[in-house]
Amino acid sequence: MSEAVLAMVGVQAGYGGGLVLQGLDLQIDKGTVTCIVGPNGAGKSTVFRVISGLIKPKSGTVTFLGKDITGQSPSAVLRAGVAQVPQNRALFPEMTVHENVLLGGYAIRRDRALLKQRMAMVEEMVPLVRERAKEHAGNLSGGQRRMVEIGRALMLNPSLVLMDEPSLGLDPKSVAKVALLIREMAASGRTVLMIEQNVRLGMNLATHGVVMEQGQVRLTGDADGIADNPEVATMYLGKARED
Amino acid sequence: MGGVYALLSSGVTLIFGVLDVVNVAQGSFLVFSALLTWQIWDLTGIEPLLLIPVMGALMAFFGWIIYRGLVKRVVPQGPGMTVLLMFGVAIAMEGILNIAFGNKFKSVTPPYFTQSLQIGELVLPYPQLISGIMAVVVLVALYFYLKLSWAGRALRASAQNKDGAALVGISSIKASSLAFAIGAMTAGVGGVLLIIMYPIYPATQYDWIAKLLGIIVLGGMGSIPGAVIASMILGISEAFAQAYIPQWSAAIFFGVILVVLLFRPEGLLGEKTREDVTT
Amino acid sequence: MSALKKPANIVGTVLILLLFLYPLVGSETRYFESVLIVCMLYAIMASGWNIISGLAGYVSLGHSVYLYIGMYTGAILGKMWGVPPMYLMVLGGVVAAAIAVVVGFITLRTRSHSFVIITIAVLLLFMTIAQNWKSLTGGTDGFIVKQPEWNKDSPTTPYYYIFLGLMVLTVALVAFIMRSRLGAGLVAIRNDEGKAASIGINTTLYKVTAYALSAVPFGFAGAVYAQYLGFVTPTTALAILMSVFLVLAALVGGRGTLWGPVIGGFLVWGANEASTVLAGEFSARLLIMGVILILTVMFMPAGLLPTISRFVHRRKSQGSAVAFIDQATIAQTRDVAIDSIVARTGQSTDPVVPALEVKGIVKRFGGVTAVDGVSMTVERGSITGLIGPNGSGKTTLFNCMTGTFQPDEGAVFLNGEDITRQKVWTRAHEGLGRTFQITRLFKSMTVLDNLVAPLEKTSVRELVAGRYSGEDVERAREVLDFMGLAQFEGQEAAALSFGQQKLVELAQVLMLRPSIILLDEPASGINPTLIEKLASVIRRLNDAGTTVLIVEHNIPLVLSLCDRVHVLAEGQVLISGTPDEIRNDPQVIEAYLGPDHMLEVNDV
Repeated sequence: MSEAVLAMVGVQAGYGGGLVLQGLDLQIDKGTVTCIVGPNGAGKSTVFRVISGLIKPKSGTVTFLGKDITGQSPSAVLRAGVAQVPQNRALFPEMTVHENVLLGGYAIRRDRALLKQRMAMVEEMVPLVRERAKEHAGNLSGGQRRMVEIGRALMLNPSLVLMDEPSLGLDPKSVAKVALLIREMAASGRTVLMIEQNVRLGMNLATHGVVMEQGQVRLTGDADGIADNPEVATMYLGKARED
Repeated sequence: MGGVYALLSSGVTLIFGVLDVVNVAQGSFLVFSALLTWQIWDLTGIEPLLLIPVMGALMAFFGWIIYRGLVKRVVPQGPGMTVLLMFGVAIAMEGILNIAFGNKFKSVTPPYFTQSLQIGELVLPYPQLISGIMAVVVLVALYFYLKLSWAGRALRASAQNKDGAALVGISSIKASSLAFAIGAMTAGVGGVLLIIMYPIYPATQYDWIAKLLGIIVLGGMGSIPGAVIASMILGISEAFAQAYIPQWSAAIFFGVILVVLLFRPEGLLGEKTREDVTT
Repeated sequence: MSALKKPANIVGTVLILLLFLYPLVGSETRYFESVLIVCMLYAIMASGWNIISGLAGYVSLGHSVYLYIGMYTGAILGKMWGVPPMYLMVLGGVVAAAIAVVVGFITLRTRSHSFVIITIAVLLLFMTIAQNWKSLTGGTDGFIVKQPEWNKDSPTTPYYYIFLGLMVLTVALVAFIMRSRLGAGLVAIRNDEGKAASIGINTTLYKVTAYALSAVPFGFAGAVYAQYLGFVTPTTALAILMSVFLVLAALVGGRGTLWGPVIGGFLVWGANEASTVLAGEFSARLLIMGVILILTVMFMPAGLLPTISRFVHRRKSQGSAVAFIDQATIAQTRDVAIDSIVARTGQSTDPVVPALEVKGIVKRFGGVTAVDGVSMTVERGSITGLIGPNGSGKTTLFNCMTGTFQPDEGAVFLNGEDITRQKVWTRAHEGLGRTFQITRLFKSMTVLDNLVAPLEKTSVRELVAGRYSGEDVERAREVLDFMGLAQFEGQEAAALSFGQQKLVELAQVLMLRPSIILLDEPASGINPTLIEKLASVIRRLNDAGTTVLIVEHNIPLVLSLCDRVHVLAEGQVLISGTPDEIRNDPQVIEAYLGPDHMLEVNDV
């Protein structure tokens, strides 16, 4: 239990009248890369929204590093150490790469020394940030943008990184680079929780898998186990291809 | 005059950039500030230029209240609705100003009102000269504030990508309040500068709405440099028209806008990149 | 028809009947008649405004300019010819429409905020002209219009009935438009203009037509109003206020509805009169109207009618949940005669002429050259793939093919015909269909409505035809059956999952009977089961003779599906070849797949 970074217990949440999450239990351990899979509408993105504080759950608790963060504001959750890399573009296109990453440290803007130190750390992990520092973010390719987004999320030195479809719209080469970075993050002790429609890629990358259906967790386990589960294979992986 | 236009339209375009709200009440903010300046000057005889910081702060506070009280609630209804809301504010303010100040021209006449600076052939009336310089000073200060401060960065971030801004912990409500406050502040400063140049009465706001909106469309919605350039075009075309065909000056400006839009629907400096279409 | 069953129609009809009877039975009619005349004027204007701003979503804040145009047309020509302006109301309508066509052609190129602002500018421009063109308009003072000597006891009654008649005609016009394909197209434009063009709707024609039609009632009413008032002046401030008032009327009643603007006209002007009686002074009235506007926007943004109907609706059906339909059930494709779905008459079947060809395409954005001299062909009857790294210019090239962009250099040929300068909708008419990476269905419409929206051609008959002709609906059902989507027919598009929406969008494109379909990343964001379903649909369409071009990152899908693949890199064609050639090409692995491709994304 002590190694749990995030624990969600009996979470019910939704928009307007309906409940999307219907009593969700989920535990994420430190240093793991967990991939959530499930059909569209199963509530995967809603899980992210609840964790990051964008919607308040109707019942249930969310515990992060032993602290109850249920219903806290997005910026409080962010400061607590949960960063998010969304699926659609999130950069400021008319600012330079450097400025973009710098704004990732908005929450620690008063501490100049710390900002400087974090910037150096990010530049080391994501060399692109230094190489293209002066370029406008809008001129980067899709893969480069995703790298800068990750770099920006790292400015607050988060313990947990939420990634929504990190491979979406990226070419294979960029996907490989992003995948490498995700593994590096995990190696440096961060925990990664991601949603991925590309289930094969997700399971290759992840150490753990979570299958969601209709607002609940159907199945959890290590990634290989999930991928080998016959039901999962037919539902989400499609029947085996010849090539 | 171009300088004052630039200052005021920057305020409008800043609000638009951050909030997607077209502040058609900027003209009434401006008239409000101008008439209040007149009132204070009339009562105390104070040098009106000293009132610039006071009116700037006062209007910033006023803009902040308007945003928190009204605009914030209507933003989710979409841009069309916020325009109408601001129109409501403009009309209601005109009503109040009419009642409070009367539907008459008011004018502030400090001692230098009728004097001018003569450089060779060129005659520059002092009020125009001072207003122009002050407007440029405030505009430059605003520019550096936006460029270099964290608050300015946060504002630009919200303007460029709201979701992205929320992601790094910039509260969109705070950024929007600030944008509205700055936008209204430009009207506060502009009001003081205006009333030492021209007589004002409440319904003047319509001329201002039309000109300011024309400027930001011409410059490209949300682009401050565009607004500045368009202001210069307006200022010059007005001065030109004033000299030769005075009564047609407004028509010429609107004509210019229509012609420009025929060829560049996105305005002079409006963005049209590959990004726009692929989203 | 069911038209009379709607409560709003009953209320509207009763309102008109009461108005008709009022002068016959009422006492003290003179004052109230004059008030009601202005109410009706506002109802007419708000209804006219509703055509462009309610249906098409282009909010105009300067529409009263067309009332002024009607007034001046009536007054000036009436003076020249010695006729009472009222008899010239048809001319007023024609002149207003003609000016609207010219103005609309320019202003409708801008969108949302810019359009709102430009309409105000146009209003002010015309005011300036009216003030300064003294020889024609009499300048600021305007001029007096001679009124004919009518019954001295009730001089307003004839005007009253004329306005009532105009109001009924305007409502009839709006009702007709709402039920026509023009109306459906305008709603599509309001929802998503780019998408509307891609399914064959001539958006420029639709918008300008709607804008001109919306000016007609203003022109008619203007000519009559000029005579009723007895004078014409260009008072700028009041003109803007009039525009704001009429927009307020439409809003209060409910924009986009048939009766909302009419009822709003009465409410708004009624409130205005009441505040004149109570407060008396102009300034106080301004204040009150401003406050009403603020309150309406804040608390009743949809307007009175929609708010009421939603309230009634909610009480009737509390909490009917959207049925959860399992992904698996749509994985089956039913056997439907596919020939009737893809058949397209009169197209070249010459296999030598490529279905689609681009030659030397160059497209620059600012300083960046996104596409740098690309030539490639899509052979007839093939499934062709277009792949390449992010930023290689795929999407830009795709947009040049569909007409979203104009290339800076080079040409695009569809079935051997140069279509480089053709509009998006013309390409759709000629058999080029496309889907979007992020689906762009009309979210508030049902699946069936989405399918009948596409237009195979533009003609006057199409415009005035009823929204659902039997033939279209029948075909739509066939296509849905073919796609295995029949059960979703009545669902709102927004209620579908992303994957389902992608299938519906493909079905929508099939309604155009395209000879070639361009698919923009059809597999992105949907799960492998649905991808397989999609692949089988694509294969069947192709077997039936449809050419397909796919832009995609899912390499196994592209390699298994395509006959031929073009690889783009840095804006140029890197290599073209069969899937096998592509798979093993060292250049492709270097530029695109990546050296560790075998390790990382072996079986993506």
